[in-house]
Amino acid sequence: MGKLESREQFIRQLTEHQNRLYGYAYSLLGDHGQAADVVQETNLILWRKVDEFQPSKPFLPWAFAITRFQVLAFLRDHQRDRLLLDAELVEAMSDEVERKAEKFDAMRVALRHCVQLLSTNNRELVERRYYRGMSLTDIAEAADRTIGAIKVALMRSRRQLAECVRKRLAVEH
Amino acid sequence: MHVDLEELDSLLFDWESGSLDEDGIKRIREMLRKDADARSHFVTTQMISAAMQADANAALDLPFHGDSHSEPDFNSKSTTPNRRVRAPYFWISIAASLLACMTGSWLVYSHITGGFPRPSPIVGNNGRGLRDASKEPTAQGVALVTRLVGVTWGSGQAGIEVGQALLPGRFAIQAGHAQIEFFCGATVVVEGPAELHLESATRARVKQGRLRAHVPPAARGFSLKVDDLRVVDLGTEFGLSVSASGTNVQVFDGEVELHPPASERRLVKSGEAIVRTAQGEYQAARAVSASFVGIADLESLAQLQESARYRQWETWSAGLRHDPRLIAYYSFDEPGDWKRRLACSNEPANRELDGAIVGAQEVAGRWSGKRALEFKQPADRVRVQIPGEYGSLSLICWVKIDSLDRWYNSLFLTDGYEKGEPHWQILDDGRLYFSVRPVERGESGPRDYKALSPPFWEPSMHGKWIHLAVTCDVETNAIVHYLNGQILSRHTVPESRMPTTTRIGTASIGNWALPTLSETEFAIRNLNGSMGEFALFAAALTAEEIQEIYQYGKP
Repeated sequence: MGKLESREQFIRQLTEHQNRLYGYAYSLLGDHGQAADVVQETNLILWRKVDEFQPSKPFLPWAFAITRFQVLAFLRDHQRDRLLLDAELVEAMSDEVERKAEKFDAMRVALRHCVQLLSTNNRELVERRYYRGMSLTDIAEAADRTIGAIKVALMRSRRQLAECVRKRLAVEH
Repeated sequence: MHVDLEELDSLLFDWESGSLDEDGIKRIREMLRKDADARSHFVTTQMISAAMQADANAALDLPFHGDSHSEPDFNSKSTTPNRRVRAPYFWISIAASLLACMTGSWLVYSHITGGFPRPSPIVGNNGRGLRDASKEPTAQGVALVTRLVGVTWGSGQAGIEVGQALLPGRFAIQAGHAQIEFFCGATVVVEGPAELHLESATRARVKQGRLRAHVPPAARGFSLKVDDLRVVDLGTEFGLSVSASGTNVQVFDGEVELHPPASERRLVKSGEAIVRTAQGEYQAARAVSASFVGIADLESLAQLQESARYRQWETWSAGLRHDPRLIAYYSFDEPGDWKRRLACSNEPANRELDGAIVGAQEVAGRWSGKRALEFKQPADRVRVQIPGEYGSLSLICWVKIDSLDRWYNSLFLTDGYEKGEPHWQILDDGRLYFSVRPVERGESGPRDYKALSPPFWEPSMHGKWIHLAVTCDVETNAIVHYLNGQILSRHTVPESRMPTTTRIGTASIGNWALPTLSETEFAIRNLNGSMGEFALFAAALTAEEIQEIYQYGKP
């Protein structure tokens, strides 16, 4: 395979798996901004290593390994920031995160279906909080409810969603 | 011993909403260390959060009903289970192939959506994938405005732009000329003052004004109504003038049928004219073609107006070149063969600041005669090398965006991203994104502040020149985004996250180059569109100055 063709393959793989890398990084960092930064850095590193890329070998395990390394580097470089996990926990959970991140797109499909099964009120709360990024205070104000009540409703919805996604993914495999 | 998953959920919820304290974080870590179920539960929860965020970022059509912010017609979300999620690459390829065959209905479609006051994000997303025939948006609209020359709008008439679709209803101009293309194929040049009521793609009522209609055979049957008199075109060119003193129908070519209310229809032939007086009497007359402005006349009028605007901008631009605050100014207006060099237009001249054109091709700019560069291929860019250290910055450009199909669509980025270096780009959801790195790479310390504007991109902007600007004031810690001379968003940056010194060094216009590679051709960030002017100032310009730059430069 020519160099150009191989690079094209690489770019195809890299773009195709952006969401999975994002899911991976987010799961270990718990912060969307931090995860986006790490994915950006990871893309850069992967690109620098493009000559090591072998189209015949699976791309994802390689990319996940570098993402994990970048997550650890991020934790090391941002010790003064508010961080959810420490290096030890990242190491301990990275295998499971990798397994689940592989199925990230299937999860997104399942999730969209599951969101529709929520009650109208809960669906609206979920939409506002997670898809439109409204703050809890704003949501509570708009709904004329307390933040505590919103939290309870959102947590209940999240549990329903998790259960529904689990079932749907179980059926598929 | 098992941990309480509800407690974990509650802690994670607080973490996500930013209200969890140090003890809470410790507690989460403790639970995760202790229990495998907790870890598994944690990963699933996080993955779902990431999935929701990914969908939110992609502004995919969300699985929600009754979104009050959107046009219901565009947003009828009946359930469609098992819809495939496509990977970003797939969106890009779809967008590219769409772009390649972006003709006919698609063009019309994007114009139509532009005609609505608030296109929903779902509309904006169309053309990036997720095509589902049953969901193809339907829209109203009976005609397009295709040319405006010297138009002033009457009271009660919102300003309309070229390319905008017209819904059935009133269309009025006080002065100037407007060219309207009805969807049936008839073209009407309207001379102000005029008032029309569009009824359908083949019909309109005329209250007042002079207009000239060109009706090709395919549009035969196009009719205009004046009070109770109907003028039906049989495939021709005719003029119609309506005023208090009466109605005048003149046929320049072909035939027109007049349908008066109470009498026989009359045929008016080429060269003939009929006048209906205010008293309702019909008189024969001769047609005088020259008294009605036609398509060709309007075109030369438009060209005159265009070259006048071009000259006005050139005069202004010649003055700008001496502005001592300019770091680098690329007018994209140098005469002669560019020889793959984008000349820096600063005065006094400094050839060191010339940019090197890589890949990008020369195309027409905002006016005929004005030049621009088109960035299409992943490697297309203009390389620049700008030495020195600065404080506040302003970045300004005229761009024509074909589509935002990259995650990051570059406007101007320094190679790498070191301390004090600015990055200016557009996210695929249409938000402007400006940031300056506050600390050395690898050094722990405050993270960069990401100044993200609200989404500004609408389908109606496709293929149009737009003016973008951002100012970064290191004294007041303010970053302000502008679109077409107006403030889009203002951001206050925490002091620790704003560097006091900024620098550029090597950088790219329209792309991002990675610093450590010699053969850098990174596909992910090139601009898909054209750029026709770029200026970099060592100062934060005021809102008035940005508005002035826009006013002088607008096409």
